[in-house]
Amino acid sequence: MIIALLLILLALCGAPLFAIIGASALWGFYQSDIDLSVVVIEFFRLAEMPVLLAIPLFTFAGYLLSESGAPHRLVRLTEALLGWVPGGMAFVALIACALFTAFTGASGVTIVALGALLYPALREAGYRKNFSLGLVTTSGSLGLLFAPALPLILYAVVAQQLGIGGPISVDDMFLAGILPGLLMLLVLLAWGLWSGRDLPLKAFTLSEARAAIRAAAWEIPLPIILLGGIYSGYFALSEAAAVTAIYVFIVEVFIYREIPLKQLPRVMREAMLLVGGILIILGLSMASTNYLIDAEVPSRLFDWLHERVAEPLTFLILLNIFLLLLGTMLDIFSALVLMVPLLLPVAVRYGIDPVHLGIIFLANMQIGYFTPPVGMNLFIASYRFDKPIAEIYRATLPWFFILFGAVLIITYWPTLSLALLERN
Amino acid sequence: MLITLKRIKQLILFFEDSLIVLLLSATILLAGSQILLRNLFDSGLIWADPTLRIMVLWLALLGAIAATRENRHIRIDILSHRLSQRSQSILATVNNLFSAVVCAIITWHAVRFVHAEWQDGATLFAAIPAWLGEIIIPIGFGVMTLRFLFNLALQLSQRDGG
Repeated sequence: MIIALLLILLALCGAPLFAIIGASALWGFYQSDIDLSVVVIEFFRLAEMPVLLAIPLFTFAGYLLSESGAPHRLVRLTEALLGWVPGGMAFVALIACALFTAFTGASGVTIVALGALLYPALREAGYRKNFSLGLVTTSGSLGLLFAPALPLILYAVVAQQLGIGGPISVDDMFLAGILPGLLMLLVLLAWGLWSGRDLPLKAFTLSEARAAIRAAAWEIPLPIILLGGIYSGYFALSEAAAVTAIYVFIVEVFIYREIPLKQLPRVMREAMLLVGGILIILGLSMASTNYLIDAEVPSRLFDWLHERVAEPLTFLILLNIFLLLLGTMLDIFSALVLMVPLLLPVAVRYGIDPVHLGIIFLANMQIGYFTPPVGMNLFIASYRFDKPIAEIYRATLPWFFILFGAVLIITYWPTLSLALLERN
Repeated sequence: MLITLKRIKQLILFFEDSLIVLLLSATILLAGSQILLRNLFDSGLIWADPTLRIMVLWLALLGAIAATRENRHIRIDILSHRLSQRSQSILATVNNLFSAVVCAIITWHAVRFVHAEWQDGATLFAAIPAWLGEIIIPIGFGVMTLRFLFNLALQLSQRDGG
């Protein structure tokens, strides 16, 4: 118990999370007199999961995209195609951000890569400063629920390892995320439409639309190939990731020539740094999870909770609050590997579908990114737009409440997440 | 002496970075050719899939080594920027020491594990010995141990100097 508290304290003091997780696994197995090489054996399971190949490949593709002129072309294209509808520029910003986040994972790159383009464009279109700031900050994590976002993949990987509540595939998560993701997008679009109701409409110009399409001609096929390949089942996930990496590489390096070959080692290294950071946590958490299950921690947690909270509905309310707090402190990847092994067995016994739990988890984490006072994207935005953090808090607050409403709907209406799954 | 040390350090960094670049490129090419083979010739390399999985493990550890070098591991960062310079540096010392100890213990057990696999003559596939793929685990955690110790030494010397 003392050791556990000590580890939590160390984690709060900024010790690397993988070391905390490794230490807890080592300590747990040591206490139960199990040979500690089990930690290494569990870690080696990183090499036994074919789906993990997708992670370095997608991350590399995402880094290439954000370092190239792709964000610029994406904004120009959506603006040319959608800028003329009411609330146009807000539409443009939300859709561009959602697409970009889905493709690059949610690591704050969206704000850095797209925010700088969108914020001035929103201001120029006549949106208030706070509205514009709030929008770009909030949109940094929008799109997390759309394929092929890494958190969806990672949730499926972790849940599969647990083997509780039936098989969960990455494809299930990709399908389940669509409607909840659209719901979030729609409520924000509605808010954008309402806020921009007095702004003058822009005219649609065919020549600009044509020019924007031509400029992005090589990138437009990417989502079509990738999503078509995944959803039709033609590509396995790791194959889709390989195709994406190769396609993006050829397009950005050889066709657009926006990333000089000399820069490539740096981009690769940056991408693998993130991959290493995530996978080492995943590998060690497989050991600590193994220990947790051996020690029956989840079922004891359930018994303890069930005495106090009998209703699944109350459990869900508590879960929402807990995840919201968690999301302000932990980034999404560590939160996934740390908490899903504890929460999933408990939630399943409350009768919650594992796939639905995953969507609730990710949707909560998504707003955790910009929940005051410590959501990560708030700081990135404050830094990127050179605004005091208090101003960012005020600007994102309405967005926070709107999306929180969407998260509540997602939580208490399982059909939204499960309707597209074939098993229903 | 100092110049030689610096050169050795640069050489090591260059070696690490090149390894990441080579390995990632090889992974992309191998995964790509598997897809081509499957779709055009309805065939594939039997050894490709297990090799790719091992390559992911290697990429993970090489990436983690790089993250250690730049002190960019995933961590909870809510306390540190509210503290004074002095307490920050004390915390950093504790964190480096703690991480070094954890990595050292894992390294030791990884060495035991790989050694056992080597003695058993376990294979990954065909005649490829299993230890060849697993060796990156002790290497990776070993290098990270050294890196954390190095960071620790650097910090202590800086504190004495300042």
